[in-house]
Amino acid sequence: MNTIEIGVKINGESKRWRIAPGDLLLDVLRREGYYGVKRGCESGECGACTVLLDGKAINSCVMFAAQADGCELLTIEGLAQGDTLDPIQDAFLECGAVQCGYCTPGMILNAKAFLAQQPDPSEDEVRDMLAGNLCRCTGYLKPVEAVLAAAEACRQKAKDR
Amino acid sequence: MFDHIQAFHRPRNIQEAVRLIHDGEGAGRFLAGGTDLAVQADRSVRFLVDISKLGLNYIRPSGSGWVIGATATMAELEKSPAIRALANGILAQAAALCGSVQNRNVATLGGNLMNASPAADTATPLLALDAVVTFADAQGQRTAALAGFFSGPHGTAAGGMLLLEVEVPQPPAGARVGWSFQKLGRTQSDISLVNAAVGLGLEPDHRVKWVRIALGAVAPTPMRAPNAEALLVGRKLEPAIIDEAAAEVAREVRPISDVRASADYRRQMSAVLVKRALRECARQTGYAL
Repeated sequence: MNTIEIGVKINGESKRWRIAPGDLLLDVLRREGYYGVKRGCESGECGACTVLLDGKAINSCVMFAAQADGCELLTIEGLAQGDTLDPIQDAFLECGAVQCGYCTPGMILNAKAFLAQQPDPSEDEVRDMLAGNLCRCTGYLKPVEAVLAAAEACRQKAKDR
Repeated sequence: MFDHIQAFHRPRNIQEAVRLIHDGEGAGRFLAGGTDLAVQADRSVRFLVDISKLGLNYIRPSGSGWVIGATATMAELEKSPAIRALANGILAQAAALCGSVQNRNVATLGGNLMNASPAADTATPLLALDAVVTFADAQGQRTAALAGFFSGPHGTAAGGMLLLEVEVPQPPAGARVGWSFQKLGRTQSDISLVNAAVGLGLEPDHRVKWVRIALGAVAPTPMRAPNAEALLVGRKLEPAIIDEAAAEVAREVRPISDVRASADYRRQMSAVLVKRALRECARQTGYAL
């Protein structure tokens, strides 16, 4: 099997990975130990495999790893600053927006990219964004509350600064 | 799953990209966002040619309208002020409903057209806008109307060619012009069961000066409804004539039954969406029906 080498910056670290030309990004990430990237539908429907690629939320199950060559990646493992959780992670805990947790990394990363663009979203906008992340436990009420609470917390923090 | 793919090429320019596909004799595939390609997992594909870094993601004015590069993403289209303003934003609306945020961040206009799903959301507004497509192969470049581009489900007149850009001629605009995009799906970002795009120009006395009616997911390819258009031109836009045109649309569509909807339902909904679109267009001109 031919292999190729790609370079990425993932969670702030530069890495070089040897991959097969047809490897999907999801498979490579999990092989490299980023287990926070979840395997769900494998067809770009459920959002469990969401990571940020150059700041944009993407489904890593429908992207070839070679497409990420030269890009910056963020997975859930890289979101907290040391022991300090991201405000979105805090809000998911505070609001009880986690049940089994399988969809949670994808939701939080999608919300991370979304709030960077839209710091003061309406509930409708949050629901539209979260439509890309399926939860099979319970529903979306608490995740929607959590994203709105995180937005509020971030705005408050920016004001206090 | 993709062990049949033996090479991944990142050409530096268009010539190199089309040469790679040409020399591959059917074994290669152009890759833009990959959201369709990765799901279809066609085992006959031996190598990929990534066209996402060729600088084809522009949206810029042309002499007579707008040109959109083939690798402009759905997210770029829905956020572009120019596309949001063009024809009251029907193309931007369609792009914004083309799957989830994660898919719209990578899915491209060129991919949506070249994948040639009968339900491709951006094809319908582009047909109503009389769009023109330019594509390239090893022999050179060609330009053709989008009408006539689709040959059947997942088939185009440009198989094996590289779509470069889509030109949208400056559409009629003004106080007596309306544009509407309508989509029916299980959820709003799900694949369309039926979609419709309509443009309408009215005379001061509310007679129809011109009308364009396009539909998706109700025939082997995205389609215009020429009989319904002809029926409306010159007539005063009234509820009875709207019903008549919608009935004509229902006769013109050629839907199939599948897991998502029956042919009969799609036929009836084609009429409903065209009625809604015509009314919305009229409303935009200040004419409440």
